Amino acid sequence: MALHDAAIVAYAETKIVEKSEVDVWELSAQILEELLDKTGMEKGEIDGLILSSSQTGAGNNFWSQTTADQLALEVDFCQMVDIGGCSPAGAVARAAAAIDAGLCTTVLCLYSDTQVRENNNRPRSFTQEWTMPLGYLGPPAAFGLLSKRYEHQFGLDPRALGKLAVAQRDHAVLNPLACEKLRKPITVDDYVNSRMINDPIRLLDSVMVCDGASGLIVTSRKNAEKKGFTKAVVPVGYGERTIYRASEAIVDPTLTGHKAAGEKAFKQAGMAPKDVASFHPYDDFIIAIMMQLEMLGFCKHGQGCDFIHATDFHFTGNLPLNTGGGQISAGQVGLAGGGTNVVEAVRQLFGEGDKRQVKNTSNALVTGIGGIPYGRNWATSVVMILTPNA
Amino acid sequence: MAEAQINETLHIPRQPSAPRTFSQPYWDGTREKKIMLQYDKKAGRYQFFPRATSIYSGRRSDIEWREASGKGEVFTYTIARRCREPFRGHEPFFIVLVTLDEGVNVMANTVNVGLDEMKIGLRMKPYWHPLPDGTNLLMFEPDR
Repeated sequence: MALHDAAIVAYAETKIVEKSEVDVWELSAQILEELLDKTGMEKGEIDGLILSSSQTGAGNNFWSQTTADQLALEVDFCQMVDIGGCSPAGAVARAAAAIDAGLCTTVLCLYSDTQVRENNNRPRSFTQEWTMPLGYLGPPAAFGLLSKRYEHQFGLDPRALGKLAVAQRDHAVLNPLACEKLRKPITVDDYVNSRMINDPIRLLDSVMVCDGASGLIVTSRKNAEKKGFTKAVVPVGYGERTIYRASEAIVDPTLTGHKAAGEKAFKQAGMAPKDVASFHPYDDFIIAIMMQLEMLGFCKHGQGCDFIHATDFHFTGNLPLNTGGGQISAGQVGLAGGGTNVVEAVRQLFGEGDKRQVKNTSNALVTGIGGIPYGRNWATSVVMILTPNA
Repeated sequence: MAEAQINETLHIPRQPSAPRTFSQPYWDGTREKKIMLQYDKKAGRYQFFPRATSIYSGRRSDIEWREASGKGEVFTYTIARRCREPFRGHEPFFIVLVTLDEGVNVMANTVNVGLDEMKIGLRMKPYWHPLPDGTNLLMFEPDR
């Protein structure tokens, strides 16, 4: 028994919108129905529920069981994963672990958030005491600080970062579920000339917060075979690291937990970066994509800009990048936003990428980034490698 | 396109901090314009921000409080150009991370420094900004 004894047999996703017209549970119900339709399962076959965090659900200490109640799901395993943007990929690993431990057989991984419509988040962290009194705008300020440090250590070529922004935007144009406002092509000049938010972070570096939902059905491979699913995606490698270098007072913010998580995931999968067929990194800011390329070993630390200039990230290129547009060009579905790139990776491996289908569907690499600690980069890094069920 | 001017944030009304039980010694120190840092006696190292335990050993009994010099150099900085209230309208201003000589990074606003002078490595010293409850907010200015 292991991680790879679980399989994703279906995905679902709503249109990403600037502000939801309906309640978060209505979006969740939409995901449930789409997954039941796609799998042909009865809802009674779902015996596990794992939710991502949700800014809408943040006021409720009973979020996973309340959601189970709202959707009338009778389950043997019920939890919410609260590692921020890592929660959707983390949910898949936790589903596999729960299935592996015999706690349940078929898990609904549900990623819904309507942060724009209804934000109930009241964070209890370092922020009230140590950063809010400084006019610190959270993630953009944190990424401004780390980008400036990166620039100091290695130099930072805005045109390289702009190339990533353009590739993702081109993909969002091809993704009918991406937020409509963002489905307009941009150029590298548009990126470079977009206004500064927190120097050197520009407007087109940043995600736009949106509302929406996505979800997966994860079941045991045995059950997937028994039920005759012809399309299934298997997690073959997973690594997760929270508070990288926690015991150090000063941490180089250009180094991230993806180094540790990536090494573990690649080893487990028996793969190397050169084997990656498509790359679906968590993208809250463009520079995070480059830092992940470095930490995962696609290139050396500090050489991300050169690697970007030498690589074709279009869905037809040698390293397809966030083929649905990523969060930056499809819209960030609050704390459920990590689901966008997870679902896109599964969609590609199912061969359902339509106008943006990648050629090489032998695997896909998905990542997560979650939480912003004080004066560092991010709190949690996850790396998950998916392959079609061969 | 960079503005020539960087604003200072001294006019912005700020609330007193709400210290946690374990961070109270830091805020008490600011009343006398002292920077009090947590120091792990066994590791021989400082830590910031104040935490409920040692980041080095996980043992709260290893922690004592020591006064720091407050001098250091800019580790990195950003220019805040879009903020929420009460900072809205006061942009642009600096947010810096300063590496104190004691070996910790502290985040703060700055005074008496413009775009032309700001750079990573710039030597800084404390500047204390009074808060309504008699504590002081730590800011930095160049140590010329």
